[in-house]
Amino acid sequence: MSENSRRGFFRELASVVASARATAEPTAPPPPPPDFTDAEIERYSRQLVLPEWGAAAQLAVSEASVIVIGAGALGAPVALYLAGAGVGRIGIVDDDAVELSNLHRQLLHFTPDIGAPKAESAAAKLRYLNPDVVVEPYRMRVDGGNAAALIEGQDLVVDCSDSFATRYAINAACCAARIPLVEAGVLGMAGLVMSIKPGRTACYRCAFPVEPVDAPRCADAGVLGPAAGVIGSLQALEALKLLTGVAPTIADGFLQVDLATAEFLRVRASRRSDCSDCGALR
Amino acid sequence: MPARTLDITALTCPMTWVRTKLELERMAGGEALEVRCSPGEALEQVPRSAREAGHAVTVEGTTIRIVRA
Repeated sequence: MSENSRRGFFRELASVVASARATAEPTAPPPPPPDFTDAEIERYSRQLVLPEWGAAAQLAVSEASVIVIGAGALGAPVALYLAGAGVGRIGIVDDDAVELSNLHRQLLHFTPDIGAPKAESAAAKLRYLNPDVVVEPYRMRVDGGNAAALIEGQDLVVDCSDSFATRYAINAACCAARIPLVEAGVLGMAGLVMSIKPGRTACYRCAFPVEPVDAPRCADAGVLGPAAGVIGSLQALEALKLLTGVAPTIADGFLQVDLATAEFLRVRASRRSDCSDCGALR
Repeated sequence: MPARTLDITALTCPMTWVRTKLELERMAGGEALEVRCSPGEALEQVPRSAREAGHAVTVEGTTIRIVRA
């Protein structure tokens, strides 16, 4: 039994005991949260010390299961920060192999990894970073046919893919399954980030109803490493906020980031009743 | 009921407040915690952090008594 599932077991037990007590003695205080090990307290001390964070937030991330789609320029900072923060289980999805041209921006892959599957290369580094996290690599390309099965049962999906078709497929699957989603994209020296709570806030298709035709891809337009790092880091922050509720997210709209001019613009978007992905959700 | 106690004499900042905070989070409102700490930074920082978090704090020597908000 892993540390995480063990903790989950004790938490369930505590909850059962609490409800039994609550029946017999309505004024009984809630049970204390389970103990963290000394190593956990030290590893997470710089987030535990934050006024907004605490045992409850740490427990929430440690019990969370998150899928990161893409192990590239956005997926690298996202997966690194989520593993560092102590997210219990991280699935990392990518069907590509590491190329020399990836290394200037994809922080999880190093020169000796060239030719290795990105999902495996990423998983190995994440396990080094935090052995307490369960990391599951998936060598596959996400599309409309497999997205629903991939995200089933997840607490959160972070979309770090590099194509519009994948992004719309993931948005549709997350809406159908009501799984929170963090969307992002980066190109050149600009990008955007958006958090989505299906049925409650605007989804990606609400904000961008028409799928772009012949949109430039990174391979055509290029991207600076730190620009992707900024957008991916914002995505990771949104993910931690969604998992814990410690701060408001970039919901009902998106954050447009121009890193050439260092301008951040919050763009509002509303749910659309005619949205084919989330319009029917209540 | 005797107060809970916590010994942070061997710790340095910020672990002093991390441990105290986690202990406070395990307690019910109105419950008291007596924190034994070393003179110096911890004795200055822990009461300050506890007050900023909204708890009632009194200090006697190197013992900090915190009543959870």
